[in-house]
Amino acid sequence: MKLLTKTTLYFLLIMLPVFTAGAFYLYSKFNKEIKHETDEELVNDKLQWMRYLDTARVDNPIFHVSTPEFNLRPTENAAQTGHQLKSVDIYQEPENTYAPFRQLTQVIHVNNKNYELVLRKSVIEKDDLVNNIIHVMLAAFAGLLLFVLVSNWLISKSVWKPFYRSLGKIQKLQLNKLEAIVFERTTTHEFNQLNTALGNMTTRIHGDYTSMKELTEDAAHEMQTPLAIAQSKLELLLQDDTLSETQQNSILASYEELQRLSRLNHNLLLLAKIENQQYPVTAQPDLCTVVEKYLLLFEELIKEKELQIHKEMTATAPWPLHPALADILVSNLLGNAIKYNYTQGNITIRITTDTFTVSNSSHLPEIPANVLFQRFKKHNSNYTNSNGLGLAIIKKMADSYGFSVQYAYANGEHNFLVSHG
Amino acid sequence: MKVLIIEDEPALRASIQEYLERQGYICELAADFPQAIDKVNEFDYDCIVADIGLPRGNGLDIVKELKLLESKAGIIIISAKDSLEDKLSGLELGADDYLTKPFHLSELNARVNAILRRKNFDGNTTVTFHEITIKPASKTVLVHNKSITLTGKEYQLLLYFIANQHRVVTKSALAGHLWGDEYDQAGSYDFIYTHIKNLRKKMLEAGGEDYIKTVYGTGYRFG
Repeated sequence: MKLLTKTTLYFLLIMLPVFTAGAFYLYSKFNKEIKHETDEELVNDKLQWMRYLDTARVDNPIFHVSTPEFNLRPTENAAQTGHQLKSVDIYQEPENTYAPFRQLTQVIHVNNKNYELVLRKSVIEKDDLVNNIIHVMLAAFAGLLLFVLVSNWLISKSVWKPFYRSLGKIQKLQLNKLEAIVFERTTTHEFNQLNTALGNMTTRIHGDYTSMKELTEDAAHEMQTPLAIAQSKLELLLQDDTLSETQQNSILASYEELQRLSRLNHNLLLLAKIENQQYPVTAQPDLCTVVEKYLLLFEELIKEKELQIHKEMTATAPWPLHPALADILVSNLLGNAIKYNYTQGNITIRITTDTFTVSNSSHLPEIPANVLFQRFKKHNSNYTNSNGLGLAIIKKMADSYGFSVQYAYANGEHNFLVSHG
Repeated sequence: MKVLIIEDEPALRASIQEYLERQGYICELAADFPQAIDKVNEFDYDCIVADIGLPRGNGLDIVKELKLLESKAGIIIISAKDSLEDKLSGLELGADDYLTKPFHLSELNARVNAILRRKNFDGNTTVTFHEITIKPASKTVLVHNKSITLTGKEYQLLLYFIANQHRVVTKSALAGHLWGDEYDQAGSYDFIYTHIKNLRKKMLEAGGEDYIKTVYGTGYRFG
C-alpha cells in the first residue's frame, strides 16, 4: 500500500466516526432547540387563550372546541396550576401519515367550569432538519476528503520528495558502482538522519565489497608468481635422468595439478575483470570469424571424436563485445560442446545477427537450472580438466554487458542460446 | 649467446637461468630495476627476459631504455598480469614477445630461441641437429640433405623439440605451444600423439634416426 493511500485511509477511518458523532450531536441540539422554541410559543399561545377566555365569560357559554391546533373541552378533573408539554404524532388525512407535534395540556378554570386546554404545534420542520444536517455533513465530509487527498498529495510531493529521491537512488544502486552515491541535505531532520544512515551503510558495504574484490584480484595475482616458481622447479626436476618412473610420474602429476590451479586462477581473475567491466566494447568482432577460428583450433579434437558439425550462419555477425570476450564466449561454448559430446555425436552452430546458438549431443542428463551457472559446479565428475567456471564466466559476461544466455535440453541435445540487442 | 634475466623472484630467476644455461646460453641476472638499467647500459645482450612488476620500476621502462640505446637485443616480457593492455603496450614499445606467468620453461626457451634466430641472422639461418637441417626462412626440413614434407604442426613440433633438445617436454607444454592456451577448453591433448607419430614416421622414412623418445607417461625427449 502506498504511503499516500495509507494516510488517506487512516484519515478517513478517523473522520468517519467523528463526523457521525458530530451529525448526531447537531441533530439532537437542533431538535432540542426546536422543541424549546415550539414550547415557548405554545406557552405564549396558552397565555393568550386564557386571557381571551377570561374576557369572554359575559355570555357564559360552555366552550367545546376541537381542532388539531386548539382543543378545549369541559372536564371533571381538577384545575391545574401548570401545564404539561409532550411530543405526539397526529394522523394527517391528506398525506395518510403521522406528523410530529408538540402538545401543551392544562386543565383550566373558566366561568366556574373546568376545561381541558390542549394546544398543538407542528414540528414537521424537524424532518427537513435531519435531511439538511445529513446533507451538510455529507458535503462537509466529501469536501474534507477531497481536501485530505489533495493536501496529502501536495504534502507527499514536497515533504516526502527527499525520501523518494533517496529511495530511487538506492533502487538504482549497483554494487560495483556504489562509490558514486551521494545523499544531499534536506530540510527534514528525519530524512537527514535516514540519509546519513544510508550513506554510512553504502560506504561500508562498498568498502567491504571493494576489499573483497581486491582480495580476490590480489590473491589471484599474487598466486601467479609462486605458481610460476613451483611449476618451473618441477619442470627442472623432470629433467633429472636419475629419477625412477614413479618419482617422475609423481612430479608430472603435481605439475599437471599446478597447471589446473593456474588455469583456475586465471579464470577467477577473468571473472573479476569482467565484473569490473575492464573489457570495454571498442570493436565489433564478427562472431562467424571467431567461430571459424575456433573450429580450426579444435579441428583435431573434432576429428578424433568424429563429430558432425552443422553450421547455419549469416554472412557476418558483428557483436558489440571486446574481442577477448568474444573469443572466450565462443571457445567456452564450443569447447563444452566438444568435451561433453560422445563419439560420432553432432554439434549445431547457429548464428544470426543477434543470436548465437550451440547445440550438442551428449550422454549427460539435463543440467538443473539452479546450478547451471554456479561457480565450481561441475556437472560431471568424469571430466577432471573442467574447473566449473566456463559457464559462470559466460553468465557473468552476459550480466555485465547486457545480453542473455538461455539453456534448453531436448531429445538428448544440450542447447545454449546467447542473444544480444 | 648472452641472455639477461630480469626477475625479482630469486627462485624463478634461478629456474630460468638453469634451464637456459643447460640449453647453452650464457645468462646474467638482474633482481630489480636499477640493476637491470645498469646492466643494459653496460653490456650488450642478445636477448633480454624482463618481468614487468619489478621493485623500484616497471619492466616496460626497460624496454623504452633499450630502444633509446638502440639495442639489437630481443626482448621477451614476462608478467604475472594477463593484461591485454600490458601486452599491447609492451609490444608497441618494441618488445618481441609477451609471456604470462606461470609458463613452461620449455616454452620460454623456444621463444628465446626463435627471437635469436630472427634477430641475429635476419631469419637467414639454418637450424641443424645431426642429420636434420631446418631452413626457417623457407620452412623446409632436410634429412640427409633430402627434403621431407611436414604439416604445419609437425614443423612447429620439430622446431620446439630441437630448441629443447635433451630436455623432457611435457604434453601440456607441447599442446600449449601448438594450440595456444585455449585448447584445454575442449579437454584432452591425447591427439598430440598422432602428430608425434607422423613426424617420427616421416623422419624414419627419410633415413633419419628416431630421436623422439617417450618418457614414461610424462612427455617426450628429443635427442
